[in-house]
Amino acid sequence: MSLSSSTMKQHKSNISRRDFFKAGTFIVGGIAVTSVFTPFNGILFASEAPKGKGKWYGIGIDISKCIGCGKCANACKLENNVPQEPFYFRSWVEQYTIKNDGSILVESPNGGIDGFMQSVPDEEIFKSFFVPKMCNHCAKSPCVQVCPVGATFETDDGIVLVDETYCIGCRYCVQACPYGCRYIHPEKGTVDKCSLCIHRLEKGLQPACFEICPTEARILGDLNDPDSNINSFLKNHTCMVVKPHLNTGSKLFYNALSPEVR
Amino acid sequence: MPQQIKRLISAFAIVILLFLVMQQVLKPSSFGVSGHYRFLAIQENKLKELQYAGSESCIKCHEDIHIEKSDGYHAQLKCEVCHGPALRHVMYADKFENEELPDSLKLNKPDERKDCAVCHRINAARIKITFDTIDNSMIKQVDPMKHNLVHKKTKVELKCIECHYPHQP
Repeated sequence: MSLSSSTMKQHKSNISRRDFFKAGTFIVGGIAVTSVFTPFNGILFASEAPKGKGKWYGIGIDISKCIGCGKCANACKLENNVPQEPFYFRSWVEQYTIKNDGSILVESPNGGIDGFMQSVPDEEIFKSFFVPKMCNHCAKSPCVQVCPVGATFETDDGIVLVDETYCIGCRYCVQACPYGCRYIHPEKGTVDKCSLCIHRLEKGLQPACFEICPTEARILGDLNDPDSNINSFLKNHTCMVVKPHLNTGSKLFYNALSPEVR
Repeated sequence: MPQQIKRLISAFAIVILLFLVMQQVLKPSSFGVSGHYRFLAIQENKLKELQYAGSESCIKCHEDIHIEKSDGYHAQLKCEVCHGPALRHVMYADKFENEELPDSLKLNKPDERKDCAVCHRINAARIKITFDTIDNSMIKQVDPMKHNLVHKKTKVELKCIECHYPHQP
């Protein structure tokens, strides 16, 4: 005991104040310098959303145009072979009803596919609106960051995809997604999510939900192109993302989004 | 250098070497091309089968309906909104131009009250929505269980489409 404490004392006295500051500056400076380069850009990553190099897809949804027909949810299921059971969705619609007493009711019977029945009488309603939900294709996706095997990723044009052959079905990403946009496919045993219908984009077609929306409440475009329809949508509307405090870099912009929406 | 350090170094070297060899063998060739994922997975995602044809392909054969629809309230509705995914229908029609379409490829014609109610059932969330495309008109809303449920004289149950032709409602 006496020996170890004496050696510690000895060791401590060997470092001069000058050496300590030298070493400290070297370490802190080293971290600051290396964090500028891409593999260590933790600080930049947290402070700023990436913007992509070429095409960089952004989505606009106009809540003030959504009539809650649920055609988008239905089209998504048919296009992408999503199981018909009412708890598997890549895209769905929710009805928010804020009552006069301030309580909030969120309903989504079968994702809105069979239509909505108003469950609260008119005189109790303060306001009510439909919110179509889908993958936000975040630039800093929490789901991508937690995948232990690199089976989910952001493409260079900003689409979050799943590699089915690599997914081990660990469900980490399902609980990581703050928007609830992932589910485990009951037959495949792997995770499934909105692919922004990349197989349709490839052929010059709109994603199924965008194609089908009867009121054209959905807009898809290139955020890097100043003349694109998504940029004119953002210019002409007051848009907001859901849960901005989570810093997910969401690229799904809602017009007329109420703060009650979660 | 002490004996035990030498042994430790050699043990670590073997493990690291094994790791590098296994990485070379097990890692798919396209992994890491553009990030921490298999680049070919993008191609695989792109290969999935389509279901919806897009409105352009409908107009090719059904231009009459497109014209008929173009000045009505349903002008901006695409055909597949009501008739469902049509790609196989279109592909068959493209391939065998003069043949009768098999029943399995015919598209559905929704004519029930509930089919119209999906958009037109009265709802507090729907009431304020206007469309600038059609002179700021609001979406027409009814209670499908009350609005002219039976014919006033004959008392026979009525479908919506008996009064409102869907292409020109």
